[in-house]
Amino acid sequence: MIKKSFFERIKPLLYLLPFIASVTLFTLYPIVNVIRMSFLEGYKYLSGAYTGVGLGNYQKVINDPFFRQALSNTFRYVLLVVPISTALAIVIATMLNQKIKFQSFFQTAYFLPMVTSSLAVGLAWRFMFNDKVGILNYVLNIFGIQGPSWLTTPAGNFIAVVVFGIWAILPNTIILLLSGLQNIDPLYYTAAKVDGAKTLRIFFRITVPLLAPTIMLVIIINTISTFKMYHELFPLFNGPGIAYNLFTVVYYIYYEFRVMSPPKYGYAAAAAVMLLITVFIFTMLQRAVQAWSRKERGEDVKKVKRHRDQNK
Amino acid sequence: MRIRLENIVKRFDDNTAVNDFSAVIESGELVTLLGPSGCGKSTMLNMLSGILYPTEGKIYFDDDDVTFMSSEKRGIGLVFQNYALYPHMTVLENICFPLEIKKVPKAERIERAKKMAELVHVEGMLNRKPGQLSGGQQQRVAIARALVKEPRLLLLDEPLSNLDARLRIEMREEIRRIQLETGVTTIFVTHDQEEAMSISDHIILMKLGVLQQYDKPQALYDQPANCFVADFLGNPPINKVAGVVQDGKVLLGEDKIDSGIKVDVADGTRVWLSFRAESVILDNSSSLRAKVIMTSVMGKEVITSFDLAGKEVRGYMDANAELQRDQEIGIRFKNSGVFVFDYESGERYL
Repeated sequence: MIKKSFFERIKPLLYLLPFIASVTLFTLYPIVNVIRMSFLEGYKYLSGAYTGVGLGNYQKVINDPFFRQALSNTFRYVLLVVPISTALAIVIATMLNQKIKFQSFFQTAYFLPMVTSSLAVGLAWRFMFNDKVGILNYVLNIFGIQGPSWLTTPAGNFIAVVVFGIWAILPNTIILLLSGLQNIDPLYYTAAKVDGAKTLRIFFRITVPLLAPTIMLVIIINTISTFKMYHELFPLFNGPGIAYNLFTVVYYIYYEFRVMSPPKYGYAAAAAVMLLITVFIFTMLQRAVQAWSRKERGEDVKKVKRHRDQNK
Repeated sequence: MRIRLENIVKRFDDNTAVNDFSAVIESGELVTLLGPSGCGKSTMLNMLSGILYPTEGKIYFDDDDVTFMSSEKRGIGLVFQNYALYPHMTVLENICFPLEIKKVPKAERIERAKKMAELVHVEGMLNRKPGQLSGGQQQRVAIARALVKEPRLLLLDEPLSNLDARLRIEMREEIRRIQLETGVTTIFVTHDQEEAMSISDHIILMKLGVLQQYDKPQALYDQPANCFVADFLGNPPINKVAGVVQDGKVLLGEDKIDSGIKVDVADGTRVWLSFRAESVILDNSSSLRAKVIMTSVMGKEVITSFDLAGKEVRGYMDANAELQRDQEIGIRFKNSGVFVFDYESGERYL
């Protein structure tokens, strides 16, 4: 064996250095620092001083009514936005996947939220939600429905943010599902049609099952991203609802860190760590589900090969 | 079921995929649509299945005009080139699916599916997913799925081209067995002449959308209608030497060597002399001379390639002759397997 020089051996490391450095500095260090901060009681960021080490911050945060409200809001938000947006996106993606008239118009229309600034669009929605001059209640009125007071009552606030959240999350969801749909061999549809299957049966017996891995992926990705909801609150309400009623977990972190005076760094860090754990669990779940769906479809090539060899 | 195709034309924009195609397929037969890619055989199949409709002409199933009938009403079973088995369903569910659509009661559909699975020999893997099956097994399941609703017509679109050589031979025998057992009228599309020769009752050979010959496999081989048919069938491919007719004799190559073949066409007509490898005999007393290029032993046979009038041709020669490279030999032709075609049109003269 030829002995490589020292430089030759560390050369790959040099190539990787910029990446490693940036990840360490901007991803790993903040995470570690937040975890550390979450255990430091009475932490002062500028001086670095703290009064103790322990689970005090966690205790405080868990018992904080605002955090509990944030948790409840976040879970309700996730439980509403994710299923509704996924169901809508499946229907829309299926329609966009057909050969329809004005296809490009509809595709543009549905993908528009993705390329627009959510802050600007949020302001537009704020006008649409307006009780007096907003178009939403105007349209609902035409159908004889008394629309909620979106922006001026706490209950209306929640519905408003859910509607906005669903709208904002749709394009990404549709794109993922559309790519999933386009991966389905059209031959399956031909085969089913030749056998006389109608549209609805094809949709539920073929399209949806074949799309299931993508749907799972979308649900998990959207769950993770909706868990982190908070910036939608600014354009709509300038804060957590009209009556401090729309705290979410991330807004709570932001609030403890930025709005409170003096800032409660420890509380924010503890809440952040709890969110991190929740999201981490969902990420693991996603990987497990993907591995399962691959196995379910018999795509584990090695296994199939082994199986065949045994049969010989 | 008897199928009658009357003057079928299919155009895509300016391109005519099938032109004036007429044929009758008798009930219970296995007929192969054979031809090189782009010959219109798949278009023809799609018109039979109702995936495409003809631009002109009529299709009759027995006495029903099905020309513009939608696929599901035609009572056909279709097997695709890559099988199109639903990957999320088990083998049993796949075979059951056509019956599920027809709203056959569950118990009956499982019973019928199991019977089909037995027919195609996949009864041991009913609970597996298609991804866990080999290509040949997937093919069997696809055939079972196509046959389970007892179609009037079974259509197979290049069903063997995704299989390796050994499996292909096994599966084509299987398809023939299943077809004979069920007696279903079957149309089989392929570009592989060997496949077509081995399983068909009749072969329809197509070229550029036009039917060339519709006959029994052996008849296609022994009595090709034109030069294309002769070129397309047979392995090794038929030998072709260009020549010209003089005094009713075919003279080969630039040196106008007398082939000894007589044909009744006008002097000066340019022709192809085509002959099968098995139709040439080593006969050193013959005045028709050739030069050996090489011999190769292929199992029990010896195939010799030799130079005839400047063209390399091949023939099965006497294995005991021990021919050497560059050796001059005399040859003559048998009475069968020798044809004369027009050089331009491919029209057959002999």
